[in-house]
Amino acid sequence: MEQALLVSNALLWVAVLALAAVVFALVRQIGVLYERVAPAGALMLAGGPKVGEAAPRFASDDVLGRATTLGGADPEGRSTLLLFVSPTCPVCKTLLPVAKSLAAREARRVRLVFASDGHADAHAAFVHKYALEAWPYVVSTELGLAHQVGKLPHAVLWDSGGIVRAKGLVNSREHLESLFEAMDRGVASIQEFVARSGGSR
Amino acid sequence: MALELDPVLALALRGGLALLFAVAAWHKLRDLAAFRAALGGYRLIPERMLGGAVLALVGAELATAAALLSSAHGASAAALLLALYTAAVLANLARGRREIDCGCFGPAARQPLSFGLVARNAALVALALVCALPATPRAFVWVDGLTIAAAIGVGALVHAAVNALLANAPRLRALRGT
Repeated sequence: MEQALLVSNALLWVAVLALAAVVFALVRQIGVLYERVAPAGALMLAGGPKVGEAAPRFASDDVLGRATTLGGADPEGRSTLLLFVSPTCPVCKTLLPVAKSLAAREARRVRLVFASDGHADAHAAFVHKYALEAWPYVVSTELGLAHQVGKLPHAVLWDSGGIVRAKGLVNSREHLESLFEAMDRGVASIQEFVARSGGSR
Repeated sequence: MALELDPVLALALRGGLALLFAVAAWHKLRDLAAFRAALGGYRLIPERMLGGAVLALVGAELATAAALLSSAHGASAAALLLALYTAAVLANLARGRREIDCGCFGPAARQPLSFGLVARNAALVALALVCALPATPRAFVWVDGLTIAAAIGVGALVHAAVNALLANAPRLRALRGT
């Protein structure tokens, strides 16, 4: 009798272990599925100048006192990537190196401009801490309102003629690159691209 | 009658909790910068003290893991450390800052704060408190070895599955659009 119970107990432990391993593997697979089905491109939010409209004109000194103008045709024929960030947004910090490397790689084609609002002092410290001196950094509530920025980091991309080509909430390198992809393909957003291709993936 | 534990239960709990703290410390040591960023995200410690706090917490986790394996005081240390983490999570939930990373098991297991996380920690604190009860000595038989090893294995797998579910929850919400 005792022998039978011992065998049964050992067998049950093995079964429980196997089931726990299966549950864990299933949960992991669900995680991978979520990653795959989530929108891979920047999420476009309503509000602000629409794709195809002109970017609002803006002129002011940036946080380091350099004259900065936004909107209208670019004299050097470059596109402009306006990236709204904030020193208090954790995702922004992870996105900064990505934006910098992208801007350095595409320097001839793209002009990167950072934008934010709030106290200028905090932003100057932020610029020095993350070595953003090479790019204009505009602190202006007016600019954020003009683009109706709700969630950060938010990016707006317009072409050399000052026409908005892509915009949206950007959380990763893929999102940021999807904006350029959208401009090159002439699609407003990944959502529009999915809708156009019949929503089937 | 004083509440006393069977030594098998006590050993399984101690082993499981030691494994938990060792794995947590290992993930933090692998990417100290990420843990520093996550800890900074809690906004409870001044920026210039972050470096020291990171080392102190990782050291505390390692010491707790070692203490759990070697002495009876490890369980109280584990309960204290878990309670401290839970208080930090609750403080930020109260401030409405749930989007920050928990920093629990490394940057790969990105997990925002939630009341599910608090519940998970409360369960772990309860286990640590049970584990702190004195154990009645008795003679070991070979089945006890199987019970301890299997219980630790099942505990680790279920804990990992709960963590994965907690990390999935916000993705599901995002997908549902609520």
